[in-house]
Amino acid sequence: MSSLMGVSPLLLLVVAGLSIMIIDAFTSDRKELAVVTAVSLFMAAALAGAMLVGPELAPAPELVTRYLAVDRLGLFFDVVICVGAGLSALLAGGYLREHGFERGEFYVLVVFTAFGAMVLARAVDLLSIFLGLETMSLGVYALVAYRRTSARAVEGAVKYFLLGSFAAAILLFGSALLYGATGQTDLAGIREVIAAGRADSILTILALVMLIVGLTFKVGAVPFHMWVPDAYEGAATPVTTFMSVGVKAAAVAVLVRVLVGAFGDPSTMSLYTGWTPVIILLSVVSMVFGNVAALAQSSVKRMLAYSSVAHAGYILVGLAAAHEAGSAAVSSVLYYMGAYTVSNVLAFGSLILMGSKGKEAVSYEDLAGAGRRHPLAALPFVIGVLSLLGMPPTAGFFGKYYVFSAAVQSGLVWLAVVGVLASAIGAYYYLKVIVYLFMREPEEGSPIAVPMQSTYVIAALVLAGYYVVRMGITPGRYLDWAVSAAANFVS
Amino acid sequence: MLGIGTYLALASVLFGIGAVGFLSRRNMLVQLMSIELMLNSVNVLLLAFNRAYPGNHDGQVFAFFVIAVAAAEAAVGLAILIAYYRIKRTVDTDDATLLKY
Repeated sequence: MSSLMGVSPLLLLVVAGLSIMIIDAFTSDRKELAVVTAVSLFMAAALAGAMLVGPELAPAPELVTRYLAVDRLGLFFDVVICVGAGLSALLAGGYLREHGFERGEFYVLVVFTAFGAMVLARAVDLLSIFLGLETMSLGVYALVAYRRTSARAVEGAVKYFLLGSFAAAILLFGSALLYGATGQTDLAGIREVIAAGRADSILTILALVMLIVGLTFKVGAVPFHMWVPDAYEGAATPVTTFMSVGVKAAAVAVLVRVLVGAFGDPSTMSLYTGWTPVIILLSVVSMVFGNVAALAQSSVKRMLAYSSVAHAGYILVGLAAAHEAGSAAVSSVLYYMGAYTVSNVLAFGSLILMGSKGKEAVSYEDLAGAGRRHPLAALPFVIGVLSLLGMPPTAGFFGKYYVFSAAVQSGLVWLAVVGVLASAIGAYYYLKVIVYLFMREPEEGSPIAVPMQSTYVIAALVLAGYYVVRMGITPGRYLDWAVSAAANFVS
Repeated sequence: MLGIGTYLALASVLFGIGAVGFLSRRNMLVQLMSIELMLNSVNVLLLAFNRAYPGNHDGQVFAFFVIAVAAAEAAVGLAILIAYYRIKRTVDTDDATLLKY
């Protein structure tokens, strides 16, 4: 197993991105760009998946130069990010054409942003963390502003860009301090120096705080969530889908590498010292605030944005359990990320499907009665919100189950209780979607959103829906992958 | 020869000025400049620390990457600001009130 083979999904995406640029330049008809993009991303996912599952191909954790790791954690996130990006590209193929602003650069940006996210998920050096983060973020800023004549899109992009760059600067200052404290830029070296007690403790603590701020900003946890609702609402819905799955997955991956990897020493990871209490605090406020704020929304898109803040909280619960439950906790985080990816694509994709040219479905009112008029189109929406809510038999149920049981295993029973109570709040606004779909009628004279006809959107929904149900009925197989990924990473 | 503490203090002051500027100013262009100042304070810090660890040039190489990425960031940021200005005819953050609660 050469390390070049291990980064082949990334290489494939670079070639795909450059090819799409050339294809776009020489064709006037952009019809099939969405398919080319989605197929390249799925191929990259399949490549990474084959290496993740195949026993003889299973790579031992190793490094490509000293900046990128080839390990199962990286491969797992390759699959999650590429599947999320591929499904978003399919959704975009339907959505952008229906609403009449399809341009080739959209797909190029999606591919390169996914590439940046994969680099970030494999980064094992402060330098490659910074580069991966910026490659991903710059692409996402541009994607949010993609609909450049829309005031909402550009305003969302401006807010996201300014706050994102501010957070990146804080992360960078933290990285520099960590380099100063330890003399190392690679995470393994940093861990060694900290374990040997040779690191300057004040600088290390400052660096840790700044790294946590910078990274939880990208995850979208409270109190660094201010950009989430605005950027999610302003962006075109396929972009929102990609942000909520790909960007978040990469940020979670690097959070695992930094916290459990570089700061995995008992002195920096126990329940009373180090980062664990900070992460517990962030997870509690994210779960509570995200769910409560989502209650008050009248726009479904904004509700899903706040719900993604709440989901960031659930993910951090799993991370907080890592001090005691170790790789079991990390594997629960990974499973959650996979389940969340397909569920969120399903929910956002259904929202896309519910609108067509001239009238996008955005608010609850737009959905009123749509389930009775078009039952088949409403079905994926129902499955999607039930999975986000955590109802069995869907992927979301096992995601929450594993995360909370990891918390219980590590003695944080109260944290699991808070999590369950917070998701009970979530039931209100998730079920409200179903109530509006089936039990309300639109107001007299208001414009009615008609579901769009698009094979691309339907294909994406069928794929996502299949995995939501599959991961909810036979979770064992996917959990096995998550466990093998969590046990095998370069730190 | 100045000690490492002096550089650390300089970098922290620069970073603080940038952060305060970002948080207190209402003009997006000035905020962008404040972020650039923060990134440059990181460069000072990296170069100073590199002198304390003369075994390799990690810090200096890192600083080069920071400069390159800051340029890319400014390009994307200014493009977004121009798109914003075309629609709103202002770059004041107090007027960015279309999206809220």
